[in-house]
Amino acid sequence: MNPVDGRPPPLLAAHGITKLFGGITALDHVDMEVAAGEAVAVVGPNGAGKTTLFNCLFGLEEPDEGSVVFDGRRINRMPVWRRSRLGIGRTFQRVELFEGMTVADHLLVAEQAASGTVRIWRDFVHRGGPSPAELHHVEEVLELLGLTELAGRPVDTLDLGHARLVELGRAMMGTPRLLMLDEPSSGLDAGDTARLSRILGETRQSTGVAVVLVEHDLALVESVVDRLYVLNFGKVLASGPVDDVLSDPEVRRAYLGSTA
Amino acid sequence: MTQFLDYAVPGVPFGCVFALMAVGLVLTYKASGVFNLAFGAQAFVSALAYVSLDQDGWPRWASAVIAVLVIGPLVGVLLDRLLFRRIRTASPLVKLVPSLGLLVALPQLALIIAGSTPSIPPPAIVGDAQRVYLHLGSVPLSGLELSISAATVVVVGGLVLLFRFTPVGLEMRAVVESPRMTELAGVNAGRVSAFAWILSSIMAALAGVLLSPLYSQLDPQNFTVLLVWGVAGAVIGRFASLPLALVGGLALGIAQQVIAGYMPAGVIANGLRPSLPFVVLLVFLPFVRQRQVDDPLSGCDPPSSAAEAAIVGYRPASTVATSEGAVHSVGVWHQRLGALPGSRMTGVLVRRPTATFAWAVGGLAILSALTWVPPDWLLTMNQGVAFAIIFLSLTLLTGMTGQISLCQATFAGLGGFMAGQLANHFGLPIVLGMVAGGLLAAGLGVLVAIPTLRLAGLPLALATLAFALLADNILFPNSWIGNGAGGITLPRPSAGPVSFAAAKPFFLLSLVILAVCAGVVKLVGDGTMGRYLSAVRGSELAANAVGIDVYRLRVLVFALSAALAGVGGALFGSLEGSLSANDFSYQISAVLLVVVAIVGLGSIAGAVVAGVVYTTLQVAVTSLPSRFAGLVAVLFGLATLSYTRHPEGFLDFLSGRVQMSIADRRARRLGPPPGAAGRSDGSVGERPATPDPAVAGTG
Repeated sequence: MNPVDGRPPPLLAAHGITKLFGGITALDHVDMEVAAGEAVAVVGPNGAGKTTLFNCLFGLEEPDEGSVVFDGRRINRMPVWRRSRLGIGRTFQRVELFEGMTVADHLLVAEQAASGTVRIWRDFVHRGGPSPAELHHVEEVLELLGLTELAGRPVDTLDLGHARLVELGRAMMGTPRLLMLDEPSSGLDAGDTARLSRILGETRQSTGVAVVLVEHDLALVESVVDRLYVLNFGKVLASGPVDDVLSDPEVRRAYLGSTA
Repeated sequence: MTQFLDYAVPGVPFGCVFALMAVGLVLTYKASGVFNLAFGAQAFVSALAYVSLDQDGWPRWASAVIAVLVIGPLVGVLLDRLLFRRIRTASPLVKLVPSLGLLVALPQLALIIAGSTPSIPPPAIVGDAQRVYLHLGSVPLSGLELSISAATVVVVGGLVLLFRFTPVGLEMRAVVESPRMTELAGVNAGRVSAFAWILSSIMAALAGVLLSPLYSQLDPQNFTVLLVWGVAGAVIGRFASLPLALVGGLALGIAQQVIAGYMPAGVIANGLRPSLPFVVLLVFLPFVRQRQVDDPLSGCDPPSSAAEAAIVGYRPASTVATSEGAVHSVGVWHQRLGALPGSRMTGVLVRRPTATFAWAVGGLAILSALTWVPPDWLLTMNQGVAFAIIFLSLTLLTGMTGQISLCQATFAGLGGFMAGQLANHFGLPIVLGMVAGGLLAAGLGVLVAIPTLRLAGLPLALATLAFALLADNILFPNSWIGNGAGGITLPRPSAGPVSFAAAKPFFLLSLVILAVCAGVVKLVGDGTMGRYLSAVRGSELAANAVGIDVYRLRVLVFALSAALAGVGGALFGSLEGSLSANDFSYQISAVLLVVVAIVGLGSIAGAVVAGVVYTTLQVAVTSLPSRFAGLVAVLFGLATLSYTRHPEGFLDFLSGRVQMSIADRRARRLGPPPGAAGRSDGSVGERPATPDPAVAGTG
C-alpha cells in the first residue's frame, strides 16, 4: 500500500489474472496496472481475451487465479454493483441501456445508485424527488456530452452514436475514479468517433478520471491513451507507452500484420 | 426392506402419472417455448369426458379412447392454434397469464358443459380397479395400479420409438434444440410444434383418465395438485430432458408414498407430502438453465418488443406519450429539466381528461355507497376495496418489477390470520393487527424471496406456487394460524367511543386504508425505487453496473408487496367477520394475478377496478343457477385470450385510445406546434400510446 519506490500506488492493479473456459485458457497470468488519472488501452486481435479481462476486472466473471486490487482493496469476489459504488464505471460493447427511460433518467438513476443510500424512507419524505445537487450533476454531464437537447428523449429513439454517449454519461455519474470502456467506437462513423475522442479528452481533463479502453480503432487509442497493453492468446504481449509498443516488431507481427 | 417395498410399490402408479405430466410439460415447453400450466386443466377435461361417457353407458374402452385420443388432442390443438402459437417470444408474464387463466377456466367451462360433477368412483380403463391381480413379493397389485403402470410403459415406449426411428421424431428433436435453425433447414417448425402439442395433450389426457379412479369425486383442484407434481418432475428434468423428467416424476410418486408411510400422523406429516414439490422446486430450480442458452440462434429471435416491456410495467409519472411522437417529462422534479429544449410539457394536457373522469367515477361511487346503496351492495363494494389492496400488491410486484408471484393470496391469508389471532388472544386492536399482519407477511415474504428471487420469470412463479401449496398444507390447517376450513373469527375495529362495526363507517375506514396503501405504491413507483425498478426492467446488467443492488431491491419490493397483501387480507377478514383457509387457498393467487393482469397492472386505478369488478362479478354469479358457479373463472380465463394482444391491460388500452383521440383533436384544432418544422428530435408522425406491433417489430 505504501509506495516503496516513490511512485503512488496504482488505482487498479491486476496480478496473475487467469481465466479458463473449459479447456481454453482465455487469460493466462495477465498483469495490468492503471494509475489514478491515467488512460490505458487494451488492444489485441479478436479472441485475445480483452473483454474477458474486462469482465474479470469488473466482476462479471470471477478469475480462476490472480487478484484484482482497486484503490488498495482486494475486490476479487466483490459483486458488480459494489464495485460500481467504489467508483468503477463501465460501458458495454453491445450497448446496454434502460429501454423506455429518458436520457436524463439514465443519468439520474446512475447518480442516485452510486450513492448507495437507502432510498425508500427518503422517498416517503421527499416524494421521490432527487436533490438539487443530483440534478445539477445530471445537467453538468448532459452538457459535457452535448446531450442537453436530448434530455427528455427516451433512449429507444436514439441513434447508436448518441446511445453510446448516454452509456458513457451513465458510467460517469457518481464521480467514478475509473472508467472502463469496451469498444466505445464500434459501430460509430468517423464523425461520431472524433466526437467521442474529444469528449473523452475533455472528461479526463475536467474530472481526472482514469480510463481503461478496449478498442480496435488505433486512431482513437492514440488520441486518448497514455499507455497500451497488447493481448494475444490471453497473454500480455507487450505494454508501455503507445509509440514504443506500436513500433515493437513482435506486436506488429502479431496484431497489426502486414497492413501497418 | 419389505416394509419399504410395501410403501414404495403403491407409489409407482402415482409416479407413472406424475411422469406422464412431467414429460408432457417438458415436451411442449421445449417445442413451443410455453410452459403450459393449463396442462392440469387438460387432464381434468379428459377425465371428466371419460367419466361422463362411462356414466352415459358407453363401453369403457370407447370412453377412454375418445377421452384420450380425441378430446385430449383436440383441446391441445385448439390451445396451440388460438393462443400459444402467438406468444412464443412474449415476456414470461404474457406467456404465463393465459395458461393460468386456462388452468382455472377450462375445468369450469367443462363442468358447465357437462352439467354436473360425476360423483361415482370412475372405473379403471381395463379390469377391475379394486381387484388384486398379482402380488409383487408381499405387495398386492390392484387392477388400477397395473393398468396405470402398463399404460405408462406403452406410452413411454412409443415415445422412445417415435423419437429414435421416425422422421417426425427427428424433426421434433431438432425443433427442441432450435426452432429457428430447424426452420432454416426447411422444416415446418409450426407443424412439428403442433405435433408435439398433440402428443403432450394425449399424455395429459391419459394422466387424467388414469388418475380419475383414485378420487371419489372429480374435483379440478386435484388436477391442479397433479399439475404441481408434474411441474416438480419437469424441474427435475431441468425443463429440458425428457428421460430425466420421466425419472423425476416416477421418483416423486414413490417418494411421497414412502414419506407418508414412515411419518407418524399429524398436521406436519400430512402436510409434508404435499409440500414435497416445494422442496424439489427449491432444490432443483437453480439448476435449470434458461432455454435460450441451448439455441444457437436465440440471439436472432425477435426480442419481446421494447414497447411491450415499457407498457406492461408500471409507468412512472415522468413519461407520457403524446400524439406528437415525443415522450415528455411531467414529473415533479422533471419540471426543471422539462424547461430544457427537447422535452415539452404537453403530455399532461392529454392525460388530464381521463384522470378527471376516473376521479369523478370514483367519487360518485363513494358518494352512492354512503347514501342510497343497499347494504348487500355496500358489502360487495367494501370487499372490492379489500381486494383492491391485494391487487395493489401485484401492481407493485408484477407491474413494476415484472416478477410473477403465485402466492399473494397466501400472504393475504397469513396477514388476516395474524390480525385475527392477535385480536382474539391478546386483545390487540384489529387495525394494529392489520399492521402486524402486514409485517408478518413482509417477513415471510423475505423468507420466500431469499431462496427464490435469484430465479426470475417462470422459475420464480413456480417456486411461489409451490410455496402457496406448502402454506395451504402446513401453515393454514394449524389452529394457531388459520384453523383449516373452520377458520377463525375477526372483529371489526373500534377506537374508544368510535366504532367501525357498522357498514358505512367500516367502508370509510377501508377507503382510508386503501388510500394509504395506494399512496405507498405511488411513492414507490414514482420515486427513486420506481426509477431503479424501471432501470432493472430495461437492463439488469446495466442496472448492476451503475451500482443498483438488484437482488436486494427485489427482496425489498417482494416484502413490501407481501405486506400490502397481508393488510388487504386482514381488512377482508375484519369485513367478513371470519376468515378460513379456503378464502385464500393457492388457486386464488392464480385467479388474482389473471384478473389484475387483464384489467391492468400498469396503474393504481387498475388494481382498484380489478377489486371492484372481481367481487361484483362473483356476487352477480350467485344469482345464476348453480351450474354456472364457475362462470367468473371462465370469463376471466377466456379474457386472457385477448390479454395476449393487449398486455398493457384493459384500462390502459382504453385510456390510451381516449388520450390519442383527444390529442388528435387538440392537434387538429391548434395546428402544428410552434417550431415543429425544425425539430431536432426527429420525431415524425404519430405514435400511439399503445404499442403498435408494426412499430415494435421494426424498432
